[in-house]
Amino acid sequence: MRGFFSQIWTVVVMNVLSLPRRLWMSLAAIFAVSVVVAVLLAFLAMAKGFEQTLAGTGTDRIAIITRTGSQSELNSSMSRDTVNLVATAPGIARDAGGDPVYSAELYVIVDGIKRSNQLKANIPMRGISPRGFGLREQLEIVEGRQFEPGRNEIVVGEGVLRQFEGFELGREIRFGKTNWEVVGVFSTGGSAFESELWADAPTVQSQFQRGSSFQTVRLRLETPGDVQPILEFVENDPQLILDVETEADFFANQGRALTGIAIFGWILSVVMGLGALAGALNTMYTSVAARAREIATLRAIGFSNISAFMGTLAESLLLSVLGGLAGAIAAWLFFDGFSASTLGASFTQVVFTFELTPELFRDGIVLAVAIGLIGGLFPAWRAARVPVVTAFQGGE
Amino acid sequence: MKDVYLILKNLTRKPLRLFLTVFATFIAFMIFGTLTAFQQAFDAGVDLAADDRLVVVNKINFTQTLPIAYVNRVRAVEDVVAVTHLNWFGGYYQEPRAQFAMFAVDAENFLTVYDELVITDAERAAWIANRQGLIAGKSIAESFGWQAGERIPVNSNIFSQRDGRTDWDFDVVAIYEGADPQTDTNSVYFHYEYFNETQSFGGDFIGFMGVRTTDPERNEAVIAAIDDLFANSPAETETVPEKAFNKAFIEQIGNLSLILTSVVLAAFFVILVIVGNSMILSIRERTREIGVMKTLGFTSGRIFRMVLVESLLIALIGGMLGVAAAGLMVSLVNQAPIQLPVLVLGGSVWTQALLYVAVLGFITGIVPAMNALRLNIITALSRS
Amino acid sequence: MSDDILFDLRGISKKFVKGNDTITVFENLDMSIARGDFLAIMGPSGSGKTTLLNMLGGVDQPTSGEVVFDGKRVDTLSENQLAAWRANNVGFIFQFYNLMPMLNAERNVELPLLLTRLGRGQRKKNVAAALELVSLSDRAKHMPKELSGGQQQRVAIARALVSDPKLLLCDEPTGDLDRQTADEILEMLTLLNRDYGKTIIMVTHDPEAAKYAKRTVHLDKGEFVAKELAA
Repeated sequence: MRGFFSQIWTVVVMNVLSLPRRLWMSLAAIFAVSVVVAVLLAFLAMAKGFEQTLAGTGTDRIAIITRTGSQSELNSSMSRDTVNLVATAPGIARDAGGDPVYSAELYVIVDGIKRSNQLKANIPMRGISPRGFGLREQLEIVEGRQFEPGRNEIVVGEGVLRQFEGFELGREIRFGKTNWEVVGVFSTGGSAFESELWADAPTVQSQFQRGSSFQTVRLRLETPGDVQPILEFVENDPQLILDVETEADFFANQGRALTGIAIFGWILSVVMGLGALAGALNTMYTSVAARAREIATLRAIGFSNISAFMGTLAESLLLSVLGGLAGAIAAWLFFDGFSASTLGASFTQVVFTFELTPELFRDGIVLAVAIGLIGGLFPAWRAARVPVVTAFQGGE
Repeated sequence: MKDVYLILKNLTRKPLRLFLTVFATFIAFMIFGTLTAFQQAFDAGVDLAADDRLVVVNKINFTQTLPIAYVNRVRAVEDVVAVTHLNWFGGYYQEPRAQFAMFAVDAENFLTVYDELVITDAERAAWIANRQGLIAGKSIAESFGWQAGERIPVNSNIFSQRDGRTDWDFDVVAIYEGADPQTDTNSVYFHYEYFNETQSFGGDFIGFMGVRTTDPERNEAVIAAIDDLFANSPAETETVPEKAFNKAFIEQIGNLSLILTSVVLAAFFVILVIVGNSMILSIRERTREIGVMKTLGFTSGRIFRMVLVESLLIALIGGMLGVAAAGLMVSLVNQAPIQLPVLVLGGSVWTQALLYVAVLGFITGIVPAMNALRLNIITALSRS
Repeated sequence: MSDDILFDLRGISKKFVKGNDTITVFENLDMSIARGDFLAIMGPSGSGKTTLLNMLGGVDQPTSGEVVFDGKRVDTLSENQLAAWRANNVGFIFQFYNLMPMLNAERNVELPLLLTRLGRGQRKKNVAAALELVSLSDRAKHMPKELSGGQQQRVAIARALVSDPKLLLCDEPTGDLDRQTADEILEMLTLLNRDYGKTIIMVTHDPEAAKYAKRTVHLDKGEFVAKELAA
């Protein structure tokens, strides 16, 4: 068997060494595959970045309560009484003083000017209480200070600062008739909360004519992940028409919004891949034709046709893997960490960054290998069948 | 062209290579055709927006409400022909995920302002007469299987009735069609009165207004007049032309046209390289023959033209087949029961495709054609 | 069967079908080649001399008849068995040398040894010996394109020799070379035949080249023409 493998290895090495003679054809094949892989990875990184931003937003230590069927914080609404009633449910963690740990919040939309196109886009403004700050993990005021209750002051998320104009520390912002001052900038470790403006809940209620109503309640669970006691409490009270979900589940659902983009990316790049496949086949058939006399000579010397087959296949795989790597690196350079924003479930801009994870990288290489494999198979079959008499025919 | 026979023979001498290059071109043009249809559908909201129509929203954001009293005040503004108001209902049918665009409107004025929604006069009268009636666009009706005359329940993910229920019963009075094939028919409209009287949220507010003006030239004056009217009130307004409003709305999703254009460019770039290389190669393989043709008296210019025509033919065959396939894809997408704008593969896509065919054929053919042009007979024949 | 016979062709026929016509290259041809022979096959083009060489090298199969090499039939072997048989028994020398352009002289010569079980050290020794034999030890590291035609053909001869086959098959080995270089190559073949006992079969249309052979057969329209030339 040693002879068998060393035969194949010899032919593979010779094939690879002969690549420079077909430089342009080979580069064309590499280029085609690299573009296809880069396109795929751009779309996948977009969907993945969005998904991870939202997945990173939710935790199973927190439950979120919305009005039944509302699907998003924006659509939900509930009265002060409802909030007070829910807060008495079992299963909610309690603080040192024995009070339930929860935060009733408002979620209104205001306009901001997007840096990328200078057009208006929706930014969520959350009415929140200091207790609500305690329900966000990794929360940090990175600049300035916390807003003071009762005043028209806001703190802005880092994502808003990145994507929108005019929210820098100290700026005055006008919403309708009222002016608000930016007094701080906060970070939540890249989660979707960073796409929001936060202000004092009672102030938002009065300035946006919301009376005493709220939209959602967040609460800390006694047992992480266990919403069952609260769910039972809600179900047993016909007055409460509410959904109870862990925050992790809530945001995971919203994170699937761009799954369609990933599917679109796959369809598109597989179709483009067919074009690249045509290119790869062209290159490889040309390669077999160019090497016909070499292949035949090797066969005359006593090399098997399997070695000719494998050599051609290896050449094709090498080209496509090189293309796949080039495409993946290009996608990584251009798209990884690229900050963008799109409409989320609450009709507001969610700021997220493209993420090229190792598993996406692997997907890209798999696509490249598939092109190389199919693009090499048929030409390799032809290489295996080059008649040995070709070695005796003249001409360079 | 006396050389047609020779060109065709050259083209088909390696059928496999011809197939592969045509196929690569085909793929790129199919992507081009399909994505351009998508892009035009997204842009339709902007392109089809009426020039004499304005949108009045709350200055804070279009999701903030306005008092209903504003409607009559706007109606009194000079050069305003008609005013209607709309409330986003947050409707979904059976499944919370099956959300769609549903608005509570004042029927009569609504059909005047939005006259691109086509229903018969009888249907119009029937709708106005039926308090629980709604009209649904052709596309949305098809995706949910609604028929005119049917009674359906629709839920709201925002509002609830006074008794706590979140579902309302409606009569489907009419299915409207669009005046233009690309007019959006994914929306549903019902009576504001029915909404206002039954929902529990506190009444007499509206989402936004649609305003028709006498003349697009007068838009600026009307905009200023409306916004002045409500300056320094608790709910200030912002009035914008419908085109601008729709554009900003589409842009909220992201820069779709940049994404689509980049993908199409990438696809074209790939085939440019593949086809160009293949052409150079096939001319190089013919060096000796071209030398022979030159000794026979074919002029260099004639050979140059033959090579160029060959590459143009490849682009033409692949390109036209590709756009035709895109037409097929588009009709498949249109038939699929999903809420997408209607895709139309119009004449403009074919014209653009022809232009790209010419450009592509020229770029891929020019280098090999120049090589053939410059080829010296002696070197051509001595190169064995 | 005599031990002196290396190759025995018995009743060989070779036919091609081309369109509606059947072209007969050979009809019932017999031929014996003795061990240690140096045979030149001459004939006009289309006489079947290359087809005959191809059949001797196991590259082409007869339509009917038997090809017996060293007492064993080779016309019935499968393609891969033939490849192995060629690796062990036959060295080829081509008109256009057929060196691998991306390998240097040494690596080219080494190729057939990669099909054997020889270790790296032994392979290097054998390659050096073969290059020595064709007087190209100083060109071992040169690439084919850096060598003259004659030098390339000598590398090809070294490659044909290196696995120590009994038989060398040469297809117009001097067809692409000038007279003086051709003579050098032919003298080398004579030496291999005389001093190393290689059986050589050479197809050529050059009467000068044929003079180096021990005997010459003339092939015309698929039949041997009785015309022996003096060696």
